[in-house]
Amino acid sequence: MTTRKTDMQATTTVSRRRFLRLSASAGLSSLILAACGTSPEPAAQPTAQPAAPATSAPAVTGNTSAPAPGPIDLNAAGGMDALIEAAKKEAELSTIALPDSWANYGEIKKVFFERYPFLKHNDLNPDGSSAQEIEAIKANMGNNGPQNPDVIDVGFTWGDTAKAEGLLQPYKVSTWDSIPDSMKDPDGYWYADYYGVMAFEVNTAVVSNIPQDWSDLLKPEYKGQIALSGDPTGSGQAINSVWAAALANGGSLDNAEPGLQFFKQLNDMGNLLPVIAKPATIAQGETPITLRWDYNALANRDETAGNPEIAIVIPKSGTLAGVYVQAISAYAPRPHAARLWMEFLYSDEGQLLWLKGYATPARFDDLKARNVIPQDLLAKLPQTDVKVSIPTAEQINKASDVITKGWPTIVGTKVE
Amino acid sequence: MTKRASPWAWLWFIITGIYFFVPLFATAQFSLRAKRDELSLLAYQNVLNSPAFVSSFMFSFQTALITIIVSALLIVPTVYWVQLRLPRLRPVIEIFTLLPIVVPAVVLVFALIRSYNRTMLTDSRNGTYVLLIGAYVMLSFPYMYRAVDTGLRAINVRTLTEAAQSLGAGWFTILFRIIFPNIYIALLSGAFVTFAIVMGEFTIASLLSQPAFGPYMALLSGSKVYEPSALAIISFALTWAAIGLLQLVGRRLPGRIQLVGGR
Amino acid sequence: MAKILRAESQPTGIGTIANKVPWAWLGVVPFFLFVMAFLFYPAFSIVVRSFFDQSGNFTFQNIIDLNQPFIRASYWFTIQLSAVTALIGGLLGFLLAYALTLGKLPEGIRSLMLTFSGVASNFAGVPLAFAFVATLGQLGVVTQALRSIGISIYPTFSLYSFWGLTITYVYFQIPLMVLIMVPALDGLRTEWREAAESLGATPLQYWRHIALPILLPSILGTMALLFGNAFGAHATAFALTGGGTKGTVVTLLIGAQLSSDALSNPGLGNALALGMIVIMLITIGIYSWMRQLAERWQSG
Repeated sequence: MTTRKTDMQATTTVSRRRFLRLSASAGLSSLILAACGTSPEPAAQPTAQPAAPATSAPAVTGNTSAPAPGPIDLNAAGGMDALIEAAKKEAELSTIALPDSWANYGEIKKVFFERYPFLKHNDLNPDGSSAQEIEAIKANMGNNGPQNPDVIDVGFTWGDTAKAEGLLQPYKVSTWDSIPDSMKDPDGYWYADYYGVMAFEVNTAVVSNIPQDWSDLLKPEYKGQIALSGDPTGSGQAINSVWAAALANGGSLDNAEPGLQFFKQLNDMGNLLPVIAKPATIAQGETPITLRWDYNALANRDETAGNPEIAIVIPKSGTLAGVYVQAISAYAPRPHAARLWMEFLYSDEGQLLWLKGYATPARFDDLKARNVIPQDLLAKLPQTDVKVSIPTAEQINKASDVITKGWPTIVGTKVE
Repeated sequence: MTKRASPWAWLWFIITGIYFFVPLFATAQFSLRAKRDELSLLAYQNVLNSPAFVSSFMFSFQTALITIIVSALLIVPTVYWVQLRLPRLRPVIEIFTLLPIVVPAVVLVFALIRSYNRTMLTDSRNGTYVLLIGAYVMLSFPYMYRAVDTGLRAINVRTLTEAAQSLGAGWFTILFRIIFPNIYIALLSGAFVTFAIVMGEFTIASLLSQPAFGPYMALLSGSKVYEPSALAIISFALTWAAIGLLQLVGRRLPGRIQLVGGR
Repeated sequence: MAKILRAESQPTGIGTIANKVPWAWLGVVPFFLFVMAFLFYPAFSIVVRSFFDQSGNFTFQNIIDLNQPFIRASYWFTIQLSAVTALIGGLLGFLLAYALTLGKLPEGIRSLMLTFSGVASNFAGVPLAFAFVATLGQLGVVTQALRSIGISIYPTFSLYSFWGLTITYVYFQIPLMVLIMVPALDGLRTEWREAAESLGATPLQYWRHIALPILLPSILGTMALLFGNAFGAHATAFALTGGGTKGTVVTLLIGAQLSSDALSNPGLGNALALGMIVIMLITIGIYSWMRQLAERWQSG
C-alpha cells in the first residue's frame, strides 16, 4: 500500500516495442501540431482574438473580410429562374432559431423545402435566441460548413446592430415596396417579417374565472398560477410581457419601470411562479395562466385541440407588438438560396402562411387592401380592437435595458 | 459466509427505487392523456411515426460508441501512467478533467467553431463531425476519468505491471491485455454515463448542424404538449436498453484476470 | 512483497539510459494534446473575452461587475446547492452502492440498477424538471395523493425553492455516485474482512481502519465530481427557476448574457463563466488537500 518515492523510479526495461511506440506517438504529435498550425493556434490567439468578437466599426476588422455581397434584388439576380439555377448549385440552406411551432414556421419550412427539393435544410438550434444567431454568424465567418447560418430571424433591435457590425448583406425582395417603411431598413439590410401582441393563455380546466386584464392578475384567487414563458433577463418574449404590464400600470413606451413594480407585486403575493411555462406545464395545470405572444398562444390552443380547453385573452388596458426581422448574413455561404428563401417569405403565399400561424405579417395591410386574404383565415384571427403600440428601436433598447437590469434586483431578490 | 442479501439492503433498494420510479410514472401518466378523458397511446404513436426518429437515434448511437472508444483510449493510459509513475501530475489531470463540466456548452461550441474556423473542420458536415466527437469526448472526461481512476485504484496496478514485465510483456500488452480487461466494470460505468450524455446532448449537435437525437427531441419538445413526455419515456427506455446491450457485450471481453488471494 | 518484486526487476540494457529521460511523460501526451485542442482554447477564450466590453475595449469592468449583490448571491446560492446535493447524493448513492455490492443484492438487481443509473445520471433538463412538476408540482401526482389523505404540502413547500431544486438535482446525483462507487466497493476483497475478523476486529473497526481509508480518495473525488456536476447544471435550473424570482443559479445569469434576445453583455457572461472556473479550481484544490490528508491517514 505504501508508495515511497523510490518506487517511482522502479525500474522497467525499455523494450524495443515500447521505444517504437513512443517515437510513433511523438511523430504523430508533431504532425498534429503542424496541422493545428494552419488554424489560429491558442498561443497566437490572444492578439488576434480581441479584434474578432468586438467589432464596432462598420466593417469587420477581424481576420477575414466579408465576401462580395450578392445581387441587391431580383433584377440584379437575373430573374427568378436564374436565381433558382444559382441556388441549385449551392444545394443547401441553413436557417437558425426557427422553432416549428413559432408563427407556423413548421409549415413554412415544409412548403419551402418541398418546393425546392434540391435544397438540403440545415435546421440549426431551433430554440436559439437572437444573441446566439448573431454569435453563430460571427463564429462562422469565412467557412462554408452547414453550421454557418445563411438567414436569421432576430428581434427588432438586432437589425441595426448587426448591420453596423457588418454582419448582413442587403437584399430587396420583389415585393419590397409593399413593406411599410417603419418596418424595414432603407438600404435593404433587414426587414420585418411579422409581429404579435402580448396575450394571456389560460387553461380553463383549472382556471374557471378567466382574467381579462392586467389588474385581474393581482387577484388572490390566482395565487401560484401565473408564469412567464421565458427568462426576463434574456428572453424577448418575457421582456415584452413585463413591458406590456408597464403600459397598463402607468408606464409608456418610454417607461418600462412600472412593469417591474407590477411583477414585484405579483411575486410578493405569490401569484407569480418562477418556472418557465411550456405547453406541457400549461396543459398539466402547473402554470394555467401564461403570458406569451398571441401567435404562440393561439397555435398552442389549436395544438391541444380542447384537451384541455384554452382561452386566449388580449388584455384590454394595453398591449404592445413585438416585431421580428429577417436578414441575410454577410458571410452566407449560400447567398442565392438565401434570396430564394426571402422571396418565398415575402410572397403572398409566405405572408399568408405566417398569418395562418396567427402572426401579423409585415405586408398585412397590402394583402388586406388587395383582398387576398381568405375569409376563413380572417375569421380565425382574434377579433380585437385593443390599442396596440409598436415601439421604435431606441425604445426597445431602453426598455430591455431597464427590464433585464432591474429584474434581478427589483423582483428576484429573495434567495431562500 | 451468507449469500443472502441483508434485509436492510432490500429496504434501501426499495426506498430509492420508489424515489426513482415515481417521477417517471408521473411523466408516463401525463403522456397518456393525449386524448381527452381517455388513456391513449396517441402521443407515442406520433413520436414513433416521425420520420427522423430512427435515423437520428442511430446517428447518436454511433456517435456515442465512437466517443466512448476515443475517450477510453485517451483516459485509461493517462490514468494508468499517472497512478504508476507520475503521481504529481494527478492534480493537473483532475483539473483538466473537471473543467469541461463548468464550461457552458454554448460557449464550448462557439469557441470550437472560432478556433477551427477556415480549416476543413468547419467546411463540411464531416469536418464538424470531428469537432462534435472532440467536444463529446471532452464532456465525457469528468465521468470517464473518475470511473477509471476508481477502477484502477481497486486493482493493484503496480503488482500487475511488475508481474507482467517480469514475464516479458511490453507496454502495449500490459495496457490492452491486462489493464483494460481488469477495469472493465469501471470502464463500463464511464461508458454508460458517456452514452447517456451523447444521446441527450443537443446544443452542440444542433449548432454544428448534426442530425442527432438530441436536437430532434428538442425540436419536438418545443411545439407539442403530450409528445415531449412520451418522448422522454421512450428515450429513457431506449437508452436504458442500449446501455443494457453495452453491458452484455462488455461481459464477453476476453482476458479478465481474476486476482485471487492477497497481494 | 513489493520489495521482492523490486529486487527482481533490475534495469538492463536500454532501460538504464532511458530512465534518465522522463519517458513516462510521453505516455500522457495524447491526452494533453486532446485537452489543448478541445478544451484549453475555449476555456482560454472565456478568460480573454471577460476583459472586453461590448465595444471591444479592454476593461476590468466585467470583473468588477461580478461584485454586485445579486450576482454574489447567485454564486453563493449555486455553491450551496451544489455542495448540498453533492453531500446528499454522495451519501445516499454510497448507501445504495453498498446495498448493491456488500449488501449482496442479487446479480440481476445489481445489473438493473447499474444500467438504470447510467440513464438516470443524465436525465436532466426539461424532461427532469417536468417529471418533478408532474410529481411534486401544485397538481402533481404525489401532491394530490398527499392531499387526498389530508396532508397539504403547499404552500410551505415549493418545488421552486432551494429544497425543491435539491430534491430534483439529487435524481441525477445519486446514480452518478452509484456508478462510480460500485466498482470501488467491488475492490474491497472479502478476504480482508475475513482477515480482520479473524484478528478480532469489529465491523466498525474494519471500516474505520481498512475499508474507509482505501475508499476515501475515490469517495472524495466522486463528491468533487458531483459538486461540479451540480455546479455546471444549467438546463434543469433553467426549466425550474428560469423565471428567476427565487434564488438564481449562476448558469442562468450566464445564459442571460450569452443567449439573450435583448442586447446583452457577452463580456459579463464570460466573466461569470470565469468566476465559475475559478470556483471549480478552488474546489479541486480543497478536494486535493483533503485527499492528501486522507492518504496521510491511511499510511500513518
